[in-house]
Amino acid sequence: MLFPKEMSEIELIVPSKDLVAVAKVLSGNGVFHQVDSSYLGIESLGPNTWQEKAASFSAMERRIQSILQSLNLPEDYPAKAEVGSMVDLDILRPSVERIEGEARKANDQLSAETKRLELLESQLRQIEPIADVKVEIGALQKSSFMHSTLGMIPSANISRLKTSLLRVPHVFFTLREDPQKPVVWILGSKSNSDILDRAAKSAYLNPLSLPDEFSGTPEQITGLLKNETELSKKKIAELEADIPKLAAAYKNDLQNMLWDVHISRVMADAIVRFGQLRHTYVVVGWVPTSELELLMSRLKQTSKEILIETIPTSRSGHHTNVPVALTNNKWLKPIQMLVGTYGHPGYGELDPTLLMAITFPLLYGAMFGDLGQGLVLFVLGILMHNKIFMGAMQSLGLLIAYCGASAAVFGYLYGSIFGFEGHLIEEYLHFHFEPVWFSPMENILGILSIAIDAGIIILLFAFLLGMLNNIRARDWAHLLFGHTGIAAFIFYICFLAMLGAFLGDTALAPKVAVAINSLPLPFTTLLTIFGVIVMFGGFFRNMVEGHTLIEGKGVGGFLMFLIQSLMDLIETVISMLSNTLSFIRVGAFAVAHGGLSLAIFSLAGEEPTPGFWITIVIGNIFIIGFEGLIVGIQTMRLHYYEILGKFFHGGGMQFEPLKLSPSKEEA
Amino acid sequence: MASGVFGYAAISTRVRAMYSDLLTPQDINRLGDSSDFQSLAGALKSTPYGKYTSSLKDNELTPRRVILQIRQRLADSYSSVIQQAPEQTRPLIKQMYRYFEVGNLKAVLRSIQTVSSWNSDLPAWERVREVLFPYGNFASIPAQAMVDSGNIASAVELLKGTPYESTISFAMKRFSTEQNLFPLEVALDLDYWRGLWSEIKNLSGRDRDMGAKLIGSLMDLNNLMWVIRYKTYHKLSEEELINYTLPFGYRVKDEDVRAIAAGSDIATVVSRIYPNIADVNALLEDPQAGLPKLEYLLKQQVMRQCVSAFIGYPFHIGLPLAYLILSDFEVQDLVVLIEAKSSKLKDDAFRPLLLKTSMIQ
Repeated sequence: MLFPKEMSEIELIVPSKDLVAVAKVLSGNGVFHQVDSSYLGIESLGPNTWQEKAASFSAMERRIQSILQSLNLPEDYPAKAEVGSMVDLDILRPSVERIEGEARKANDQLSAETKRLELLESQLRQIEPIADVKVEIGALQKSSFMHSTLGMIPSANISRLKTSLLRVPHVFFTLREDPQKPVVWILGSKSNSDILDRAAKSAYLNPLSLPDEFSGTPEQITGLLKNETELSKKKIAELEADIPKLAAAYKNDLQNMLWDVHISRVMADAIVRFGQLRHTYVVVGWVPTSELELLMSRLKQTSKEILIETIPTSRSGHHTNVPVALTNNKWLKPIQMLVGTYGHPGYGELDPTLLMAITFPLLYGAMFGDLGQGLVLFVLGILMHNKIFMGAMQSLGLLIAYCGASAAVFGYLYGSIFGFEGHLIEEYLHFHFEPVWFSPMENILGILSIAIDAGIIILLFAFLLGMLNNIRARDWAHLLFGHTGIAAFIFYICFLAMLGAFLGDTALAPKVAVAINSLPLPFTTLLTIFGVIVMFGGFFRNMVEGHTLIEGKGVGGFLMFLIQSLMDLIETVISMLSNTLSFIRVGAFAVAHGGLSLAIFSLAGEEPTPGFWITIVIGNIFIIGFEGLIVGIQTMRLHYYEILGKFFHGGGMQFEPLKLSPSKEEA
Repeated sequence: MASGVFGYAAISTRVRAMYSDLLTPQDINRLGDSSDFQSLAGALKSTPYGKYTSSLKDNELTPRRVILQIRQRLADSYSSVIQQAPEQTRPLIKQMYRYFEVGNLKAVLRSIQTVSSWNSDLPAWERVREVLFPYGNFASIPAQAMVDSGNIASAVELLKGTPYESTISFAMKRFSTEQNLFPLEVALDLDYWRGLWSEIKNLSGRDRDMGAKLIGSLMDLNNLMWVIRYKTYHKLSEEELINYTLPFGYRVKDEDVRAIAAGSDIATVVSRIYPNIADVNALLEDPQAGLPKLEYLLKQQVMRQCVSAFIGYPFHIGLPLAYLILSDFEVQDLVVLIEAKSSKLKDDAFRPLLLKTSMIQ
């Protein structure tokens, strides 16, 4: 739970005859993270034919998916899918081609008819506005003295077209106002037909063109077009009905074929990355140590002659090439997501998910402490998690529920319920509710001081975790002289003692710092000594690691080193101060929460009228939505900037085992 | 809606920082002094473009690849400005950025039209992709699928649901009868500039004024060059000239365009709009050489407008727009340099084409 799973490296020598069966075992169990070992193969054996096979399977998989799409079927696998052996594409292909042909025919017919309907409707849109003009369309087009152009034009071009026709006499009608496809009719003298045509063409006016069978007056043509449109719609309905029939007939076949081709493709993809020797294949990868025994026994059952070598990998030391498998716990998924946004833990590195699962809701609740609003958030989170409300945010549901629960607990401690505190509860809600701890509004400096104390404890803990990570990674240089190493830790304690001495008598003074200061230790001397060590931390780290002690050459290089060291010290002091004081926001937000509630009450007035209650409800919705979000961002900020940076590096490689079917999340 | 100091404080600071990263005329001259393309590519590494070109391996160091990487910086600038600009101005900047997608769309259509004449084993898409602007996540056209479709009609079908669907569907009727990309390209250009102008009109106050001034100046440049080129080279009629141009701009008014379309002396009209451009008559006597020169002078007018936007009150859309236009001109200069050096052109053949000269600082 605290650390990624222990991994073992596994190397297999697989006889060619068992290749597919072994690939099936490796792909089917979801525990084998493959490493490309094709470079171990013998190049003189020629091109790897498995690459061609993998490409063929992949192409066939896409083809079947596209048939499923064209038949409006989901790209699902059969409900009880079994892992068979690799499919023979030569046997499968005729069936795919037959179904594909039928699906394409149905879709082509539908598409052609849809286009015809679009054309008919477009013609109808153009001719309908002049239905009351008692003249044959044919005669209009063949007139001896008049030039007529009826058609559709981009609306943006109308005014430009009018401008371009200013120099010739004409009549311009906008028959149908439409933001997309307005219909216009231009009439002018036959002698100006060239100009009229050029203008219309250059304004992208698409003249109405009717097939020969549509002749007569606009009214007659409109009638004919309406009939044709109705017939076309009926035909489309019939064709559309054919597709579900086809889909029902071939659904099982297609899903079975998709599954067979999919597992064949996954296995072929895996085999492509095996190293091919003359009669055997080399396979390299990683398996969680806890799964190793089972996988090995399955492999041995599959191939009697397989050679297996395993190398357990200790979680201490640097292992950048080891994939990292985190413990799967559905209740911690949202926290794992937050950690993942920051970085993926390295192998052997402490997984901060569990720590963050405690501190995140704790800090959130402390800032947003309200029994009523917390319970609303809790219920909201549960509803989101179960996709009953705002299902799109399901992944955040549990996180919101945890934060809500914590806020409710702090609300109980602060004595706050939907913004009502102290006498307001008795006055408006008619029951007695005292803070179990204290109300932040009544002891502002106290809550700020406690917030800093909590921050100091969290930071000290983070320092210790950082040191633990360095010990596990055997990174002695950083353990001793790193920014979160022992020297920096002692320097921070001395710094806190100084802070305690400085703020000793004030209400804001953090008690932890004051307590440290009361210890009988020479903090000033220690501060100076460890200040110097922190200042020259880079030098000492280079010394432990055996690197060049001072980077750069000559006097300029040494001066630069001194300046950089001094800047390092200043930066360390500033960041320690800002990291510590940063937690003051926890108290400040707890106070701000009470302040915001007071503002809502001053808007609502004093009399418990319906208006009062409406204002209170709207105010609470605003606080839950607006302040709830801001507090969430602040909590995240505290973790990303102040806490995780102390001990968590991330940068680990994710464990991605070979799998035949995608997990629920991937699907 | 944030505007004024509140809305522009962050972006103004950011743009000023990015503005200071633009190349100086001295930088351009120094790059121009490179002996060949290889040394130019090497010299580019010490400029802000270095982090883009340094990712290219030695065998990838071709003029096209380098140009693509240089354009990537412009794409990043647009992306950065779009993200930081006040919400009400983002549609304008996005539409302005679409200029490059329109260019990509035209390039894709041209490639489909000419692909049959290519004598190459390389798939068409592999050849086309290198000349396209790296439009990234903003892209709305399925460029590869269009190229793979192999013909204009099928490619245009793929534009369904994109901002170009309506414009191109009207123009397709003409393409199918004329089999010429000219009507498609003109329709796309007009639609782009109209969209941009309408976004400017959606703004208010100082943002609207600065938008009209800077983008209006770019429109002037295009509108004027269109009408002159269509008239001089394509011999189009008055009504066609009017329909293929825009009735708005900053200095070039509809009356000016219509006057040229109706047959007025072009030099007189241009001199009236831009009295500081000398010898317009001489430029138009030999259009082959004179029109590029005129375009160059008009671009310098736009550059002056952009540089002046950085003087005075800074909290308006003018700064981001001016920076983006200047960045685009800078990329144009670098493309000239890269092509000149890879074609081994002499100094006097390419230096007069460089926009960033000492006269504009």
